[in-house]
Amino acid sequence: MEARQYDRAVTATPAIETVGLCKTYGGKVRALVDLDLRVERGEVFGYLGPNGAGKSTTIRLLLDLIHPTEGRAALLGLETRSQGVEARRRVGYLPGDLRLPDRLTGAEFLGSLARLRGHVDEARRDEVSARLGAILDRPLRHLSKGNRQKIGLVQAFMHRPELVVLDEPTAGLDPLLQGEVRALMREVAAEGGTVFLSSHSLDEVQHTADRVGIIRSGRLVDVDSVAGLRSRSLRRVRVAFANGVPRERFDRIEGVRVVEEQASLVRLLAPETAMDGLVKTLAEHTIVDLVSEPADLEEIFLELYREADGAG
Amino acid sequence: MPVELAVGALRDSRRGIAAWCVGVAAYVAMVAAIYPSVETSPEFNELVERYPEVLKSLFGIVEGGDITSGPGFVDVELFSFMLPLLLLVLAIGYGARTLAGEEDAGRLELLLAYPLRRRASVVAKGAALAAQIAVVSVAGWATLLVIDPLVGLALDFGNLCAAFVGVAVLALFHGWLALGVGAAVPSRALAIAVPAGAAALGYLVNGLHDLAGWLAPFRFVSPFWLVGSSPLQTGIDAAGTLVVLAAAVVVLAGGALLLERRDLQTP
Repeated sequence: MEARQYDRAVTATPAIETVGLCKTYGGKVRALVDLDLRVERGEVFGYLGPNGAGKSTTIRLLLDLIHPTEGRAALLGLETRSQGVEARRRVGYLPGDLRLPDRLTGAEFLGSLARLRGHVDEARRDEVSARLGAILDRPLRHLSKGNRQKIGLVQAFMHRPELVVLDEPTAGLDPLLQGEVRALMREVAAEGGTVFLSSHSLDEVQHTADRVGIIRSGRLVDVDSVAGLRSRSLRRVRVAFANGVPRERFDRIEGVRVVEEQASLVRLLAPETAMDGLVKTLAEHTIVDLVSEPADLEEIFLELYREADGAG
Repeated sequence: MPVELAVGALRDSRRGIAAWCVGVAAYVAMVAAIYPSVETSPEFNELVERYPEVLKSLFGIVEGGDITSGPGFVDVELFSFMLPLLLLVLAIGYGARTLAGEEDAGRLELLLAYPLRRRASVVAKGAALAAQIAVVSVAGWATLLVIDPLVGLALDFGNLCAAFVGVAVLALFHGWLALGVGAAVPSRALAIAVPAGAAALGYLVNGLHDLAGWLAPFRFVSPFWLVGSSPLQTGIDAAGTLVVLAAAVVVLAGGALLLERRDLQTP
């Protein structure tokens, strides 16, 4: 009875919690500003942002590789500054810029890391290695970027950590392996573990994560479920009219924004949810051509940031 | 566990250590093999006597010392310059490479994300460095021990042991200084420059303080002076050697604590 209460108390602490976390370099470069983030246990949390937005800074603060200028963070209920060793025992980490020793083979390197950890589930290590097709018997310097990444992934998962922190995990992997990594992440979450997945690729995150946090210029812009994010997923629409059309008519539709207007050509950005209304409005006019395609990530980011700026 | 860090470091550098052992042993054997021809040339002493004072002072040619005696010859040819130089190169190179070099190469990020205290990782790397110095020193010591009866150096066993302890402690101090500087600041260049500069200054102060009186007060901060210059003729200064050892511990501990306080430098 008491044990059960204890369990509940332990699992009630979030996997990641940051409060007012700030990192400023040299007194002026604000790499991370006032991050309040809570990642629950059992979820895959996507941390999305363009390069240089502060994703890796956040992760390095969580792992106590760098120290916060202000604020605090805890992993699995353990303070990163004072209980970092205990916290990192239960965390697996894949750096975004993975550098491995040259001379060791994959097996030697993983063996050394396992001894460094003190406890590793060897069956799990072999299983993950096999699933990713990691090459273990060749010196690491002879491996391609993708094959080095596999070694990095194996060491992040091999001790069955309660929290896995992955910084751009599928960089350099082919689509088949990206799928395998996604499966690994989902399995961790299904078993009650937590995955913190940092990525600049919306595509990678939206197929894996339950919730997504979007960061830009060191500030968390938005946190939403993937379903919520998808409902905002943008289409880039180009319409050629037989006769010129006043732009006001399209801007009136919720979420639609006119990007460019020429004599008879209009470029629009519209969320999927607005497409129906847009097409019906367009249909009132004589159309020569209509192209609708997914907006690229940059446009989605920009649109999200525009909203955030408007709200703030 | 941090022990793995030390053991792993030694495992990774086993080929390098073996090469250093072979090199030092070969050099020691070569120098010792020259001795019979020096021993039978008393004019060698006269030649050395005519050396400029500066050179005599730097090479530890002591007043009343006999360079044609076995201990005098080994002191001048090995312990006054070459052997400390070799071991210092090994120690400073490794001390700078193992932490600052790893950080420069971006390989420290993954390691420090493991459940290790940073200070423990510095101590583990310090232990690996000490072990390397010990192994290479033993290789030189054993070579002299074996070759002595063959060439008739007639070295005192106690002094021979003390001489290698002295050189090893000198190397340890400068190696741990390299490690400590690399822990305190993320710069491999500084981790080499600071101990190399300290070694050069310490060596010159020890060698020249007799000639340049204004240097004399500084001799107390020269590890070379503290350990003593003619170990096979006069033994080493036990108290001074302990002071150097204590200083080595201080610089390593200081570096370890400073590493805990700073941000890891990432590529």
